[in-house]
Amino acid sequence: MKKLAHWFPALVALGVVAFISIVLLRGFDEGDLSRAMPLEGIARIPVSAGGRTKPLDTFARNTLLRLSGRQTCEIDGGTHPAIEWILELWTNPKLAAERRVFRIDHPDVRSLLALSDATRTRFSWMEIAPKLEEVVRQAELASQIPRKKQDPFQRQISDLYGKLVEYAEVQSLRTPYTVAPLAAGEEWAPLMGADPRGRPLDTVSAQAFRGMLASYATGDSADFTQRVAGYRALLESKAEAGNLGTGSSASSFEVIMSRCEPFYQASLLYLFAFLLGCVAMLASPISPDRWKPSLLRSALIVIAIAFVLHTVGLVARIYLQGRPPVTNLYSSAVFIGWVCIPLALAGEWFARIGVLAMAASLIGFATLVVAHNLSASGDTMEMMQAVLDSNFWLATHVVVVTVGYSASFLAGFIAIFYVLGGVLTRLLRGDAMKALPKMIYGVICFAAFASFVGTVLGGIWADQSWGRFWGWDPKENGAALIVLWNLLILHARWGGMIRERGVAALAIAGNVVTAWSWFGTNMLGVGLHSYGFMDSAVFALVTFCIVQLALMSVAFVPLARWRSLAAR
Amino acid sequence: MNAFKPLLRSLSSLRLTVVLFALSIVLILAGTLAQTEQGVWMVVDLYFRSLFVLIPFQLFVPAKVLGIPGVFPFPGGMTLGVLLFVNLLAAHAVRFTLSWKRAGMIATHAGVLLLLVGEFVTGAFAKEGNMTIAEGQSANYIEDTRTSELAIIDRSDPADDLVVVVPASLLAESAQAPITSGVMPFAVRVIEWMPNARVLGPMQASKQQLARATVGTGTQVAAVAVDVATGVDGADIDTPAAYLELLHDGTSLGTYMVSPRLNAPQTVVVGAKRYDIALRFERNYRSYTVSLIDFKHDRFVGTEMARNFSSLVRLSDPTERVDREVLISMNNPLRYAGETFYQASFAPDDSGTVLQVVRNPGWMLPYLSCALVSLGLLLHFGTRLSSSVRRKIA
Repeated sequence: MKKLAHWFPALVALGVVAFISIVLLRGFDEGDLSRAMPLEGIARIPVSAGGRTKPLDTFARNTLLRLSGRQTCEIDGGTHPAIEWILELWTNPKLAAERRVFRIDHPDVRSLLALSDATRTRFSWMEIAPKLEEVVRQAELASQIPRKKQDPFQRQISDLYGKLVEYAEVQSLRTPYTVAPLAAGEEWAPLMGADPRGRPLDTVSAQAFRGMLASYATGDSADFTQRVAGYRALLESKAEAGNLGTGSSASSFEVIMSRCEPFYQASLLYLFAFLLGCVAMLASPISPDRWKPSLLRSALIVIAIAFVLHTVGLVARIYLQGRPPVTNLYSSAVFIGWVCIPLALAGEWFARIGVLAMAASLIGFATLVVAHNLSASGDTMEMMQAVLDSNFWLATHVVVVTVGYSASFLAGFIAIFYVLGGVLTRLLRGDAMKALPKMIYGVICFAAFASFVGTVLGGIWADQSWGRFWGWDPKENGAALIVLWNLLILHARWGGMIRERGVAALAIAGNVVTAWSWFGTNMLGVGLHSYGFMDSAVFALVTFCIVQLALMSVAFVPLARWRSLAAR
Repeated sequence: MNAFKPLLRSLSSLRLTVVLFALSIVLILAGTLAQTEQGVWMVVDLYFRSLFVLIPFQLFVPAKVLGIPGVFPFPGGMTLGVLLFVNLLAAHAVRFTLSWKRAGMIATHAGVLLLLVGEFVTGAFAKEGNMTIAEGQSANYIEDTRTSELAIIDRSDPADDLVVVVPASLLAESAQAPITSGVMPFAVRVIEWMPNARVLGPMQASKQQLARATVGTGTQVAAVAVDVATGVDGADIDTPAAYLELLHDGTSLGTYMVSPRLNAPQTVVVGAKRYDIALRFERNYRSYTVSLIDFKHDRFVGTEMARNFSSLVRLSDPTERVDREVLISMNNPLRYAGETFYQASFAPDDSGTVLQVVRNPGWMLPYLSCALVSLGLLLHFGTRLSSSVRRKIA
């Protein structure tokens, strides 16, 4: 037992590294022997959609994700990758029409389509087709109501209509643009449909693409492999002269990244680390000198490995996009977690109480889950609107302001552990009870600094772009609220109006302010007032805020009742 | 002097600071929520640049959940800003000592004061407007898209047009009684005023809608009122429209539909004289002229998403001997004659450009403020952090 406690962190590390290695190897796996047709090559072929050149694999995943909420497709009871689904759609549309890829949640929409099977939420084109006219009619009716005033049924029917259109566009090869530009001055073009420049679609790349699809349809795997390899070699040779937008190595790298899913693996590890931390806390009364430190060390090691994966994913996005880390809501979630980890670990170095590691792993897990949910709308590396197209300001204003969000959340989460641990347990006796408030205070100082500077930098960007330093628009106001809230806490502390407990309580309330500024201001645009609480994101935000306020109220338990403060 | 001190002391209290922060937070939250229903400029005037504001309870609870009528009075942004300013000055007056320990905080607070002053200067003196120029055309005026005017133009003098304008505020208020004036060739009776309107084409509009106007463009296209643009929509321009009956000596000259959305003025004949009328955004004329040579709007391939847009313009100002070409693009404005020209938007079909023209004498203040605050905070927290790290290592 003694020895096991000693070696436990090393064992955990070994186990985690082995797990990661298996996952990574799966991503690099070129062989793909299990399938009748080799898909590795065609998955990496670049296409253009939404203005971005991306591997066909990414396009297939994003399309399937938008239609069905998943990146895989059920075919004959087995789970198949998106690339296989899209190739079937292009080569055997009749069979593909029977795949259940349309997700429909609203019961009224299902009953309208006479889809009575209550056990499913995904349906096939064939199942919807008989009622196609009704869908179009309903969508037409709904389109006369502004989006933010539509009720959930109208939204779902509009969404379904959009999905059906998208499906038809993809099936007919109008999207994505698959014909690669092989010479200077050419642009990406769709294989079918109107050519924007009147250029005949009999170019070398168009022929090659058609050839690959025809070969796939015959099932001749040797011929298919050869054609794909030939096409890839052709693109490679013209990459310099043409206007491809990205190299084939970047395309391959993106495919590997989508398969390895570093953020997903990292989120699992953060959760594991959090559980280890919980066990360490439980073990502390039983084995305070052996198992508690051993488990805590294990948790820290797992966090460190997760952080490495998290960083790999973040750097991969920066490389693929050629942009600073934060470009949209999705990437802000990834980045907020990423910033919190080193901040918390630095705090752990000061205090060594384990609580910060737990807060860090919880934030890492939560933000990656949020990011995962935000990715359902499709490509998370979409192109930037012209006004946002400035790497300098994305790298300064956006990054600094997001760091401010991170720090505000970190302060709030440490405060939660301080309050819960202090009131409900005896784990925080002595030094921890003194160190944690200092930590919270320090992080709030940092949050105030980063959010203020970041907000003002945003104002300067706005002044550079449209001559208005401050326009009082919802997003700006959200940032201002975070700054003011942090300043309020600091000034109240300096004025002696609140002490350790008050700072912690207000820091927890700060989670509400930060979450509202981060998400709530975006939700106002889609009509919070008319939509009510149906939207799952709104529901999640409101739930989060209520939980935070409940946690905050725990802080007001009389100090005499705090178990960590009670005399032995 | 002695009687002054207790007052100064209470004005300098941190308690007041915290209360002001809390009130500001509530005000900003209310001002943000209000933008789900109202335009951003309306909210700025009502909430952030006012002495006090009446906030509807309904803002904080969705009407579907619980309907609460009524409003509560609350200090406006001007009041809170001035109080914060005084509070901060008083605090430093009372507790002023110059030392390295305090230097960071003094610099930071000086920066915050500048920020407050900057917002005040912007609110009081900044002017924003648009210049809409079609390709091959020029403009020598700036339109204020937040206010409009009915222009009655007499072009009979070949040298100069004689223009009489009726401000929109007058049109909006005069529901029944016709508007008359000695300088107006006819009286104007407002049949309907629409603060924000959409113009329906000949195929879109119904017969009844087209019948509302009896002469002019309004017989072919119709205006219908739409909700004002709200702050959360991201749009900040309302385009008004009106149905006006023109009267001369008690007899009707017909009912006209006017709106800035119509491309050309309409002609009114009074006896032997012809006048042009147009409802247009308020114009402020300049000594210089901007001509649009070429407008470029690149999109990402296969999408409608703007990759960038730019306007190649010729700037000419005979009085200053200026005549040159300038390329204005996103994030690359032109600064001239105390005004800054930003690439803001474009006309439908990319046939022209919309430049945002801003004159703000206080534009430098936020930059100074940012530098001061950053420096101050780095100094302040830097010294604190380094001493605590030193303690940890020791």
